Amino acid sequence: MERLSRYIYGLLGAVLVVWLLFFYVPNLLSRIQQSVPFGFVRIENGWLYVLGGIIVLIALILAYSLILTSINNARSGRRKSPWPLFAQGVTHLLIWIVLITAFYPVLQIVAASFDPNNSLYKFAPPQSDNLLVRSRVIPDFAQASLENYSKLFDGVQIYAYQWLLLLVALLSLLGTLSLAAYRRTIGDTQEGSPLANTQGRFLSIFTLAAFILIIFLSPSQFTSPNTEAKFILWIRNTLLVSGVTGALAVALTATAGYAFARFSFPGRYSTLLVFIFIQMFPGFLGLVAIYSLMSNLNLLGTYTGLILAYSGGIISFGTWVYKGFLESISKSLEEAALIDGATKWQAFIRVLLPLSAPMFVFIFLLQFVGTYSEFILANLLLTGTDSWTVGMGLRNFTSGQFQTKWGLFAAAAVLGSIPILAIFYGFQRYFVSGYTAGSVKE
Amino acid sequence: MYRSPPGVKGFLLSIGLLGGGLLLTFSLGYLIFRFLAAALPRPVDSPYPGYLILIFMVLLLIPMLILIARRFPFITDWYYLLPAISFVLAFTLYPILLTVYFGFTDYTGLKNGKPDRSTETSIVRVEGNTLVAQGDATQSLRCVRPDCAGEKLEVTSDTQRATLTMVKVTGQRIELSSPPPFKPKLAYHINSYQWVGLANYRDIFSRAGSILFPIFIWNLAFAAGIVLLSAGIGLILGLLLNNKTLKLRGFYRTILIISWAMPTVISFQVWGALLNVNFGAVNRFLGLLGSYPVPWTSDPEWAKVAVILIGVWQAFPYWMVATLGALTTISDDVYEAAKIDGASGWRTLTRITLPLLRPSFTPLLLSAFAFNFNNFGLIYLAINPQPGVEGRPSTAQAVDILISWAFKTAFQADGGQAYGLGGAISFIIFAITVVISLINFRVTGALREVR
Amino acid sequence: MKKALFVVAIAFMGLAMAQGKLTVWTHYGGPEVTWLKEQAAKFQKATGTQVEIVEVPFGDIQNKFILGAPQGQAADLIVSIPHDWVGAMASAGVLEPMGKYATSSYISGLNDVAVEALSYRGQLFALPMFAEAVGLIYNKKYVQTPPKTWDEFLKMAQANTSGNRFGFLYNLNDAYFSYGWFTAYGASVFAKNGNTLNTSDVKLGGSPGDKAMSFIKDLRYKYKLVPEGVDYGVADGAFKDGSLAMIMNGPWALGDYKKAKIDFGIAPMPAPPGGSQWKPFVGVQGVAMSAYSKNKIAAANFAKLLVTPESQISLNKAGGRIPVSKAAVAALKNDPVVAGFSAIIASGSPMPNIPEMGKVWGPWGNALSQVTQKPDSNVEAILSNMVSEIQKGISGK
Repeated sequence: MERLSRYIYGLLGAVLVVWLLFFYVPNLLSRIQQSVPFGFVRIENGWLYVLGGIIVLIALILAYSLILTSINNARSGRRKSPWPLFAQGVTHLLIWIVLITAFYPVLQIVAASFDPNNSLYKFAPPQSDNLLVRSRVIPDFAQASLENYSKLFDGVQIYAYQWLLLLVALLSLLGTLSLAAYRRTIGDTQEGSPLANTQGRFLSIFTLAAFILIIFLSPSQFTSPNTEAKFILWIRNTLLVSGVTGALAVALTATAGYAFARFSFPGRYSTLLVFIFIQMFPGFLGLVAIYSLMSNLNLLGTYTGLILAYSGGIISFGTWVYKGFLESISKSLEEAALIDGATKWQAFIRVLLPLSAPMFVFIFLLQFVGTYSEFILANLLLTGTDSWTVGMGLRNFTSGQFQTKWGLFAAAAVLGSIPILAIFYGFQRYFVSGYTAGSVKE
Repeated sequence: MYRSPPGVKGFLLSIGLLGGGLLLTFSLGYLIFRFLAAALPRPVDSPYPGYLILIFMVLLLIPMLILIARRFPFITDWYYLLPAISFVLAFTLYPILLTVYFGFTDYTGLKNGKPDRSTETSIVRVEGNTLVAQGDATQSLRCVRPDCAGEKLEVTSDTQRATLTMVKVTGQRIELSSPPPFKPKLAYHINSYQWVGLANYRDIFSRAGSILFPIFIWNLAFAAGIVLLSAGIGLILGLLLNNKTLKLRGFYRTILIISWAMPTVISFQVWGALLNVNFGAVNRFLGLLGSYPVPWTSDPEWAKVAVILIGVWQAFPYWMVATLGALTTISDDVYEAAKIDGASGWRTLTRITLPLLRPSFTPLLLSAFAFNFNNFGLIYLAINPQPGVEGRPSTAQAVDILISWAFKTAFQADGGQAYGLGGAISFIIFAITVVISLINFRVTGALREVR
Repeated sequence: MKKALFVVAIAFMGLAMAQGKLTVWTHYGGPEVTWLKEQAAKFQKATGTQVEIVEVPFGDIQNKFILGAPQGQAADLIVSIPHDWVGAMASAGVLEPMGKYATSSYISGLNDVAVEALSYRGQLFALPMFAEAVGLIYNKKYVQTPPKTWDEFLKMAQANTSGNRFGFLYNLNDAYFSYGWFTAYGASVFAKNGNTLNTSDVKLGGSPGDKAMSFIKDLRYKYKLVPEGVDYGVADGAFKDGSLAMIMNGPWALGDYKKAKIDFGIAPMPAPPGGSQWKPFVGVQGVAMSAYSKNKIAAANFAKLLVTPESQISLNKAGGRIPVSKAAVAALKNDPVVAGFSAIIASGSPMPNIPEMGKVWGPWGNALSQVTQKPDSNVEAILSNMVSEIQKGISGK
């Protein structure tokens, strides 16, 4: 029976491949018009050169590994195979190709952010002998200017105390990072080591300073009439909204996940099902309904309204993930506490909560990242450029009545993605463990 | 310790207590709010904000919950769920129910239950139940029915407004079902929306052959294509980077996640621009390889390829990270044993590593499929405007998936926002997603163990 | 202590002033917002009414206003709405008829097209501020005298289409831009029944529509002027780079062209081969008031301040908009931009402002994108699909 279904799958796969190769791909290729617009550099059979280049590189790697291994073998008198070294070299090559593909759009965004023309497409031919620059595959940095960036900061008045706080925040961040790097090099991975504690203190100072900065930044400090000059304000709004949303997500899912994981009240299974299936409704298509709800509550145009509207988004997933995490923790600790006379609530607070920190970080970050660049709900509920979030601002640059302000978009994108990238790189560990705890079931 | 009454009885009792408590406190909160507004009136332009109801409700709910818990101690188990449940009820379920309700009406941006200002009719005088208009009211009010019977009318004076029902309109005379509460100066016809039953669903399924089915098939191919390709690439990278002797391993692993970490509102839009036929950087590069310009964004079929490739670009680091995470759970002893048995590298991979990865990959694959099935951001941001497809309407263009079709129908058919139709499509998407997830749960057995 | 008192005093002042406060939504940016804020300050000085300016993106205003105004969540005034929104917004109940606030002497001082455009079913719904239309903008470096006939135009455009320079570009798939070609071949959006439009009779199809669509396709595949992938951004960027001789664009783009130091001129497009005069869509923008405003008298006064001939002149100085007040146009007659675009606007016809127009744009753009997709596209079938989709949308069946 199993063999039969395997044959059927194999047959279906083969049919699909044949269809793709013999019908779909030729159809696709026939849709390419055989004409070259001017300004378009086309090299007949250029792929042969590239292929040749790659083969030469592989040959070089092969020669390198053969020679290096034979020298080493001759010196040490052992007989080691050159193939692992060769395989490593090819792996590096492959990964570099992937790296370039992954970073190519990033390069283009960065290039566009330095281009004052507000256009992603250049027409004046670049003065360069480099074929890649001339064909505009690699952006031409010859006319780079900081105009787009300066527009984003135009007319922003920052008070002395804010500069001071910024300085404190930056220094403590620097301290955290350098301590982290130092601890890595000396191999200090203990949680409670003195260095780790100092690092934690730096992080708290940074959080506090950033928090004060965020709370006390006011729209009146942005004096320029241009919309884009409110960029810093948008970042602040976003950090505020996403931060509170993330904290709310943790607060709402923690107790629910605990109840689902540890209690066995009647109706637990059906409630869990309802939780999961409700989430499958494409919620943001209910924009009009959400609007009318927030309007009845007089929460339109407030961050409270937006935060509440976002809050529904992660409850079921967060609960599910946290439930999975708790189930992977042995019950013995809590049971000991319960026997000692603690209530369920006390057992949860004293025993499970401290263990759950990585999961809470994960849920917080997931919600933070998810709402950071959201723009559809935000656009519905917030009005006026003073209250915009980064996502709305970015979307606005590219969806004007006619124009697309690519230069400003790119500059804002570069600055606006820094917090998210920092979070991803700083908390990579939590993302990995969170996703695995949430879904790995063996 | 306390025990809940078992089975359905206990469930219904708990739900009844919680629901009753919520309902009661909400009604009380609402009453207090109305009482407050009546007792200490505020100016018309700044009335008491509606969220006060929620605050009163919470203030009442806490003592109420304590009282209930005294009488029915087992209910405290449910209190852990209460915050999540009440948020889901208020901010997820309520909008959903309203949207589904709209799906059974002909609610649009124009038929929104609001007065049509271009039907402004001056009222000369009032005679009991009848308003006398300055000119021919049947002309100026432009009712749906010739005599306006049963349709709504808004009347305004300088300071007041009220909504009334018309019984009959003949010439200058507008007969109402009740006398107006004040002396009106102007009257407007209201474009009201109505319950239309299954008409929206009939409309969708009557054109299913040209819209719903092609979009559904493409939607499946789109989600499957992105998931399979990105998972394949991520798996290969993960396996390569798992090689402990590889230099720069940590560096690669860290910086490769850039495309996953980047906010999609940025990366998708930039990809859309890079894929421009004659001016985009991608085709400039392909030109160096000898290709003619590929119509990524202007040809319906190539646009499909383009969105899948963009989706793969965005998702592959996730799979790489997932692979690396899953590989750490496989202990080295297994590999040692294989080595001693003299298994080749390829055999170790196909017979040991991949089968061991399978249990952790299956649920990830299925949830990624469900996510990509409704990956609105990619479709909406990457290729805009999309190439049209002959024989399909403007709301269902080349790369539209179900959810973007619904979005365009409900909100973007300029000026004629069809919220009713959009609600119906949302419900169909919901049904399809539920079916897919049921298959998902069946395959992974995720729910079996919960039970 | 003193400081605290000060704060309290400020708070009370805020409460007191809140009584007479106007909220204005605007989609303007840069110098035009500054202009609007200056007018608001002037108004506040004269009347004591505070005006708050809120910037809302153009694409969001209509939807948000329709949803928000009845709940008291939208502005008192919008500065400014394009006239093609008037029908939809009035039918949705949010616009106040403005006829009662405008004097007849004010109306008679305006360009007739502007008043007609902002009126729906005989009621004026917004006070006209400025008009816009697309025309031929040419770079004087490459084109010394603007072409009068199609042959001249084609010769100039093709002569300039070489090396790293384009002769003529615009986004073919944008129905608003392409409309002029439709009128030249005798097509229009709806049939006209005297003064009203017959929405059940869509006039974009048939032989005139077919000719126009085929001509637009020819611009790409026969005359080889506009290659694939040209959208507004590409055309605009090329013109700013000095790599484009002629572009079809409107007055809103001129500020950037001046900044890019392009020496440009303005002319109407020539008639296409076998067609009559090219007549673009004219768009008029005006100040609209919320029917739910709680401060209608003050709002009307501020609206009237914004549309005086003096204000239209100062708005033109700030943002280059083409005024619709006859006195303002006369005062600016030496400005080549105002003169050039005023002539084009006078020759064009206003976009239909009835709500049904909302059902036209989507299918129309979709059809254009299908026609220009490949050289052998089936114009006739695409056109008939488009007309039936529009008709279905309007009739609701």
